[in-house]
Amino acid sequence: MNRLDYLVLFATILAIPLYGLWRTRGRASLRQYLRGDSSIHWATIGLSVLATQAGPITFLSMPGQAYESGIGFIQNYFGQPLALIAVCAVFVPIYQRLKVYTAYQYLGQRFDRKTQLLGAFLFLVQRGLAAGITIYAPAIVLSALLGWRLNLTIWLAGGLVIIYTVLGGTKVVSITQRYQMIVILVGMAIAFAVAIYRLSPDLSFQNTLSVAGKMGKLEAVNFSVDPHKRYTFWSGLIGGFFLALSYFGADQSQVQRYLAGGSLRESRLGLLFNAAVKVPMQFFILLLGAIVFMFYQFEKPPIYFNQPAFERAMQTGHAPQLAALQTQFDDVFRQKQDAIRTVSSASPDQRDVAMARLHDFEAQARDVRERTKAVLVQAGVDPKSKESDYVFITFILQQMPHGIVGLLIAVILCATMSATAAALNALGTTTAVDFYRPLIRPHASDHHYVVAAQALTAAWGFVAIAVASFASLVENLIEAGNILGSIFYGSILGLFLAAFFIRRVSGSAVFFAALFAQALVFILFATTNIGYLWYNFIGCAAVLILAPILQQTLFRSAEMSADV
Amino acid sequence: MNTGDRNEDNTSWPKAYTVALSIFTVEIVLLYLFTLRFS
Repeated sequence: MNRLDYLVLFATILAIPLYGLWRTRGRASLRQYLRGDSSIHWATIGLSVLATQAGPITFLSMPGQAYESGIGFIQNYFGQPLALIAVCAVFVPIYQRLKVYTAYQYLGQRFDRKTQLLGAFLFLVQRGLAAGITIYAPAIVLSALLGWRLNLTIWLAGGLVIIYTVLGGTKVVSITQRYQMIVILVGMAIAFAVAIYRLSPDLSFQNTLSVAGKMGKLEAVNFSVDPHKRYTFWSGLIGGFFLALSYFGADQSQVQRYLAGGSLRESRLGLLFNAAVKVPMQFFILLLGAIVFMFYQFEKPPIYFNQPAFERAMQTGHAPQLAALQTQFDDVFRQKQDAIRTVSSASPDQRDVAMARLHDFEAQARDVRERTKAVLVQAGVDPKSKESDYVFITFILQQMPHGIVGLLIAVILCATMSATAAALNALGTTTAVDFYRPLIRPHASDHHYVVAAQALTAAWGFVAIAVASFASLVENLIEAGNILGSIFYGSILGLFLAAFFIRRVSGSAVFFAALFAQALVFILFATTNIGYLWYNFIGCAAVLILAPILQQTLFRSAEMSADV
Repeated sequence: MNTGDRNEDNTSWPKAYTVALSIFTVEIVLLYLFTLRFS
């Protein structure tokens, strides 16, 4: 990165929050601070919802995911448009009618205080940890590749977000997310165009896609019914539906975004905008990863994308082993290049033989990379994040022109800031509205609660930074967030669906059913290897099956809550 | 919920959901065709 890159980077990440704070200057009422005001347009809500979900992991890890495993991850989003329509039809009208600040207030009104607190508590645990990962994920990668200090990177993104989210509340989050998302979309479109431009002139774009497809990178839809296969049409449609329904219907960080407009119409249009654009947007981000993969079939990639880790291992007495592996890798790469040219020019009857050779070389290259990783582990420099998380950022730093590099680093930081701001805003609001106001200070002034919400938002910001500072991820960054969500969301969604659709059930029956469902999901997570998306379905189904059973047995005499 | 919102619920929203569902169906079909063409 040169001066131009740093200029573009800092101008982008500072200008948007400053503009947001200028737009929200002045003292706000509690309603304005927690729900924004009615001037927020559906397009702002739509972009805000999109930005809250996207996060840095989408732009950092997802192209790397496609580089490694192909674009099949797109199927995880297949349930989302259906879930968004369901949220528009069922959840949003109820939240708007009851004028709640948090989704969990509805549980309190429909059932009782303890069910409200359980829903809010599960959300706080899950989102508090996830906010830490959101900050940590880009910080670990950027600090490794740019030489920035890890804690400085965490504080740069986290500190800035705390300041503007605390000062401006929901409205500043919505306004900044709108412009951050515009920067993200423009940046990714430029990255896509440059990646295509940088592809080898030896192959047409169509032939490039054909070869990528033959190498297993472009299978977008797979109808397999194997439950152990992570990404299939069915797991995406069913598991993804329940994940998205929980996320958009019962996760305060999203609920607060679409309630910001104040009117039912604006909320619904913002969500339907997401239903239409989410799958295409994710497709192009994954396709970008597949294009980067094809780029590195002609331009030699690093043997290990986390190059600082590789260089550290070279200096710790493992240089001879790594040099030998590098020679093998270079040799396999040359042969693989020839094989790709043969595939693209082979007649149809010779293509299968040529493809078999190409697959063989690809397997050899993968094997050399695996052995390199084993040496890094032996050398004690194995990083906590997956190597694929370094693919796209390496491509950006090595292949993009100056200025664009700064813009794309800004994209990653904007995504971090927008997702974190939504999370902190929701965490502060939930703690203030669901815990502080009813349990600690029930009859204080409006202004007192604004100050309390600000203090709690700041406190959650420091918690997120603390989680980020001490986090060490066990899997790919992209997976960590989704796994965390899937573990908690099922039972939270079960609470809400029981509230909406099971009339004769009391708060106690639902409360204990949710506790059992959450314990069941923890046990399954610890003891089985079921695809994680299914936990949403299992947790939710457990609540919906168990609550009526408990109602008819243990809580038969319990008073029914009024239907809402 | 005001009267305007309630009216919109009864008339235009089912159509909006149908449009969103149709867009999603077209997206899935296109992705499937893409898969068939390139893998």
